[in-house]
Amino acid sequence: MSRQFIISVLSEDRPGIIADITGAVYELGGDLAELNQSILCGYLTMILVAAFDTAMAATTLLARLEAINSPTRFDFIVREIEASPPCPEIGAPAKAYIMTAQGRNKKGLVHGVSSFCYRHNINILDLATTRTGDTYTMILQLDLTKVTAVADVRKELQHFAEQNGLQVLLQHHDLFKVTNEIPF
Amino acid sequence: MLRSDQILSTVEMIQKENLDVRTVTMGINLLDCRTANVQHTCRNIEERIRDKAGSFVETCNLVSRRLGIPVVNKRISITPIAFVGAGFDRDGFVELARCLDRAAISVGVDILGGFSAQVEKGMTATDREFILALPEALAVSDKVCASINIASSQKGINMDALAMLGRTVKDIAIRTSHQNGFGAAKFVVFCNQPGDNPFMAGAIHGLEEADTVLNIGVSGPGVVARALERLINNRKGNGSRLRLDEIAEEIKQTTFRVTRCGELVGRQVSEILGVSFGVVDLSLAPTPTIGDSVGEILQILGVDAIGAPGSTAILAMLNDAVKKGGLFASKTVGGLSGAFIPVMEDALLAEAVGRDELCLEKLEAMTCVCSVGLDMVAIPGSVDADTIAAIIADEMAIGMINNKTTAARIIPVPGKKAGEMVSFGGLFGSSPIMPVRNVGKSSRFIGWGGRMPAPIHSFKN
Repeated sequence: MSRQFIISVLSEDRPGIIADITGAVYELGGDLAELNQSILCGYLTMILVAAFDTAMAATTLLARLEAINSPTRFDFIVREIEASPPCPEIGAPAKAYIMTAQGRNKKGLVHGVSSFCYRHNINILDLATTRTGDTYTMILQLDLTKVTAVADVRKELQHFAEQNGLQVLLQHHDLFKVTNEIPF
Repeated sequence: MLRSDQILSTVEMIQKENLDVRTVTMGINLLDCRTANVQHTCRNIEERIRDKAGSFVETCNLVSRRLGIPVVNKRISITPIAFVGAGFDRDGFVELARCLDRAAISVGVDILGGFSAQVEKGMTATDREFILALPEALAVSDKVCASINIASSQKGINMDALAMLGRTVKDIAIRTSHQNGFGAAKFVVFCNQPGDNPFMAGAIHGLEEADTVLNIGVSGPGVVARALERLINNRKGNGSRLRLDEIAEEIKQTTFRVTRCGELVGRQVSEILGVSFGVVDLSLAPTPTIGDSVGEILQILGVDAIGAPGSTAILAMLNDAVKKGGLFASKTVGGLSGAFIPVMEDALLAEAVGRDELCLEKLEAMTCVCSVGLDMVAIPGSVDADTIAAIIADEMAIGMINNKTTAARIIPVPGKKAGEMVSFGGLFGSSPIMPVRNVGKSSRFIGWGGRMPAPIHSFKN
C-alpha cells in the first residue's frame, strides 16, 4: 500500500542539510515528489513530499529523520497526506499578478497587505519581504482568479496605499515574465 | 518563479524610468472607400474607420489596465490618401482631411496619419492637387498628420516635388501662424518611408499591407539612461573600468526588456480586436518630460555638450545597440526602429540649441547614423522656400545613398527669429529657434527640377 507524507524541516543553515534529509528518505525506500526550500536570517526551512510503496508509518519516518547525526538542531513535522489528487502543475494561474509595496518600516505592514488580499479574495502564492535601512519592501505573487473586477481592486489598493504611506503597484505577471525570460 | 530582484527591476522601469508603450497604431486600408464623388467617399471612410477602430481605444486602455503599463498614444494610420482620392482636386483633398479629422475624433484616437502621397519617381495630377491642398488641409484639421515620400534608394529624388515642398512647408506654417506655424509640425517629408511605421507624423498604412494591422511603437530613453547610470555608478563603486562594448551590451539588454513589453501589449490588443499583429518599431522616441531624453543618453555616454565632437559616434552606437536588443525581443520588427532626435520633443536637445552647442549641420550629420532625420526643427520664419527645399534635399540624399529612412520635419515659425522660443505644448514640446546659415544661396540648385538619379548601388537585380 503506497503512502505519502509531507515533511517540514527547520534548521540553522549549513551545507549538507538537503543531502541529510533526502538521504534518510532514500534509505527508507521513499521517492521524493516535490521539494521547496528557503533561507531567512541564517535559518533554512524546507517542505517536501515523499511517497513510499511500503506501509510506512509517520512515527517511523520521524524517528529516522531525528536520528540524523547533525551539528545543527532539526525541528521536524511529518504528516501523512492523501496520495491523490496529485500536486497541481507549477505555473502561474491565468490571473497571476505581482504586487510590490514599499514604504517606511513600521509594525503591521505585512499584516495590512495580506489582510487587504484576504478581504478581496486574493490568494498569495509567494511573498518575499526585505528591509533596507528604513525602507520595507514586499513582493507578492498573487492569484486574482476569484476577483471579477481588477480595476476595483486597484482603486481600493490605491486608497489603502495612501492610508498606510505605501507605494503599491499591481501589475500582471506576464509583464515580468516577458521582461525577464526569453520564451514568450 | 521570478526572483525578487527581477521583479523590482521591472517595477523600477515602469514606476521611475518612464517605461511605457509609446503608441499602438492601427493601420486601416481605405483603398476601396473611393466612389464617384468626394462626399460619398468621405462617408465610406468615416464608416470604415468607425467600424474597424470603434473599440480600439477602449481595448488599448483595457490591456493597459490589465497589465499595469501605460499605453500613451492610440493612433490610426491609413492608406496614403493620394491613392484613395485619385482624381480628386485640391478642394476634394481638403474635404477628405475634414472627414478624417471627424473620424479620428469619433473613435477617440490621439492622432491620425496617412494624409500622404508617394512621389519619389514622378507626380500624377492627383499628387499635385494633394500637395496644393496640404496647407489648408492641415489648417482645418486638428488630428490629421501628413507626409510625403519624395525619394528612395531605388528611384532617386523627385526634385520637382521637392521644389514644391519648400513652398508648401512655408505655406503650411503661414496658414497656422496663429499657432506659431504648428501645422508644419504635422507634416514630414521622407526618403524610403516605411509602410508600417507607427510613429507620427509619418505613419501610413502602406499599400503592401493587409486590410487592418496593429503596429506598436516602444520607446524608453529614460529606461536606457537610468540603466546606464546604474551601470556607471556600480563600476565607480567597485573601481573596475567600464568600456564602451559593455555599455553597448547594457543598452541592448535594456532595449530587449522594453521591446518585450511592447510586444506583449500589441499581441494582447490584436488578439482581442481580431486584427493581425504587424510590427514592433524599436525606437528611442523622446518626450519633453524630464528624464525621457535621447540627448541625456549622449551626455551620460561622455559628451558634455550635445553636438560636441563624438556625438555622432555615440549616436551610431546607441542606434545600433537599440536595434540589436530589440530584434531578438520581437517576432516582427519594422517601422523606423532606432533612436530619434526630434529637437523640440527632447528637452536636452532643445537646451543644446539654446546654448548654441547643437547646430543644424551637426544635427544633419547625426541623422546619418540614426533613425528619421531632421525632426521637429524650428527655424526662422524668414527662411526662403528654396533654402527649406535644399535643407530637405540634403536630408533626402543621406537616406538615398545610405539605404535608410530619413525625414525632414522643419517648422519655419512665422514672425520669429533665431534664438526666440517657440512652444507647441504637450508631446510636441518647445525649443529655441535654430539659426540657418547661408540662407538664400541654394535657389539655382532647387531651380533645376527633374530627378536626382538613384545611386549606383540601387541596381542590384
